[in-house]
Amino acid sequence: MNFLNMYFSPGTIDLFINIAIIVIKIAVVVGVVMLHVAYATYFERKVIGHMQVRLGPMRVGPHGILQPIADGIKLFFKEDIIPANADKPIFYIAPVIALVSALSSLAVLPFFEGFVIANINIGLLFIFAMSSLGTYGIIMAGWASNSKYSFLGGLRSSAQVISYEISMGLSLVGVMMLAGSLNLTEIVKAQESYPLGMFLFPQIIGFFVFMLSAIAETNRAPFDLPEAESELVAGYFVEYSGMRFALFFAAEYIGMIIMSSIATVCFLGGWNGPFDIPYVPFAWFLVKVYFLIFFYYWVRATLPRYRYDHLMALGWKVLIPLSLLNILITGIVKVLL
Amino acid sequence: MSLKHIVKTVFMTEILKGMALTLKTMFTHAVTRQYPEEKRPAMPGFRGLHALARNLDSGEARCVGCGLCAAVCPSKCIYIYTADSTDHKKVVERYELELLRCVYCGLCVEACPFQAIVLTEHYEYSDYSKEALYMTKEKLLSNWDKYMGPDKDREYFKRFWHPTSDDFSTPEGQAVLGGKRTEVIDIDNAHQSLEGRYKVWVE
Repeated sequence: MNFLNMYFSPGTIDLFINIAIIVIKIAVVVGVVMLHVAYATYFERKVIGHMQVRLGPMRVGPHGILQPIADGIKLFFKEDIIPANADKPIFYIAPVIALVSALSSLAVLPFFEGFVIANINIGLLFIFAMSSLGTYGIIMAGWASNSKYSFLGGLRSSAQVISYEISMGLSLVGVMMLAGSLNLTEIVKAQESYPLGMFLFPQIIGFFVFMLSAIAETNRAPFDLPEAESELVAGYFVEYSGMRFALFFAAEYIGMIIMSSIATVCFLGGWNGPFDIPYVPFAWFLVKVYFLIFFYYWVRATLPRYRYDHLMALGWKVLIPLSLLNILITGIVKVLL
Repeated sequence: MSLKHIVKTVFMTEILKGMALTLKTMFTHAVTRQYPEEKRPAMPGFRGLHALARNLDSGEARCVGCGLCAAVCPSKCIYIYTADSTDHKKVVERYELELLRCVYCGLCVEACPFQAIVLTEHYEYSDYSKEALYMTKEKLLSNWDKYMGPDKDREYFKRFWHPTSDDFSTPEGQAVLGGKRTEVIDIDNAHQSLEGRYKVWVE
C-alpha cells in the first residue's frame, strides 16, 4: 500500500480497488453462469428425456453427468466452417453480439442481498435494451449466412421478438407501479410487504403474460419458430458450426436464465424465501430460477410449435391487451387503496 | 361461444392437462435399455449370423454344393465353388458369404434341401473391417459350433424354417395334382439316401 501511495492519490487507489472488486464480481458471475448454462443443457436433456420415457444422456460419467463438458470439448475442437458466399465480417460478429448482449444483462441482476455488479436505477430498462439487442445478433446471423433458411429464421425472429417485447415490457409496468422503481434490488425489497413476499398474486396477469412473452423472447418451444427444425433446419444458425454455434447456443440458454431471473426478481420475491437458509444467501433465488427453467423445459416437452400467424395473433391480440388491462387494474387498485 | 368454452380458453385447461400428463410421465420408469450392459436375449428363431450345419455323424458340412441358396438369394451374396475330387465326387471347395450385402430374408435356409445353412440367433458381430464380415466355409462352420449346435438344429428347422427338405409340397388342405406329396428325407442320412436314389437313376 505504501508503494501505491507514492504514486497515486488516495482517491485513485480507491478507484483501483473498486474496479478490481467489480472485475472479480464479473468474473465470478460470468463463470458461474456459464457453468449453469452447461448444466442447463444437461438438465434439459434429462427432464425432456424422462418426460418422453427415455433416460437422456447416460454415457459420459455416472448418469451422463460429464456430458456438458464432453459437448463443450467437442464443440471447441470442431471445424469452423464459413460459407463461401457469407458476408464475413457480419458472420463473425453476429454470435458475439448475441452472446454479449445476453451476458451484459447479468450486470444488473441482484443474485442476493447486496450482490449485484451494477446497482443502477434503470435495471429493468437495461435488461429490455439488452434482450432487444440480442435480436440484432440473430438477424445479422440470418442475413450474413446467405442461406434461405437462416434468412427466414432471422426474419421470423425479428418479427417475433418485436411483437413480444411490447407485451413483456407492458407486463412489467404493473411491477414498476407497485414497486415505484426500476431498480431490481428495490423491486425485491418492495415485495416484502406482499403475501408470501411476492408480487405473484397482485400481478398474476402480469406474471402470466411475462412468462409467455419470455418463452417467445428466448425463442423456445412452443414459440421456437426462428429455429423451427422441421421447416427451417435450424433457423438463423444453420450455417454456423463449432464454437460460433456454441456461442449462439450459450446466448439462448443465458437468455433463458436471465428471463427466469427477471421473473424471479420481479414476481417471485428474488432472494427472499419463506425461511432463511444460513450461509447460502442465493439459495432461494436459485431454487426459483431453476423452477422456472424447469417450467421452460416442461412446456417444451408438452406443446407442439405454434403456427406463425397464431403466434402473431397471440402476441398482438391477447398478450398486449391483457398486459394493458393489467396496468389499468393495478393503477385503479393503487389509486383506490 | 359458450361459457364453458370461454372458461376452458382462459384457464387453458387443455394445456394444463397436457402438462400434468408430461409431469406424471416424468416419474415413470424409462423404457430405455442400456444396451451393452443390459442385453435383450434374441427371440428364438431370430435371423442373425449365418452358419453352415454339420452332419451329425461325420462332422462334415451338410452342404453338397447344389447352389440353390445362391440361386434364391435376392442380394446374390452367396458364392459357391465346387470341384471334382479324385474319385469324381462333387466337393464344395469354397462356400463364401458376404455378410455386408445379406438382407437376412432367410430364403437360403428355406431353399436348402439338406438343411445345411441356418441363421443363428447371434447378432453381435459388428467389426471395423470388411474382411471380418466376409464369411468363409471355415468361419461358417465354426459359427454353427458356437451359436447353433446339434441340439437346436432339428427343433429350429421344424419351428422356424419351413425347409423344402421337410415338406417340399404345397400346404395341407390345398388342392394337389394327383394327391401326391413328396416324401420327407431323413436329414442325417440324406447323403446315403440321395446317393442311392442317384445310383438307381443312373442304372
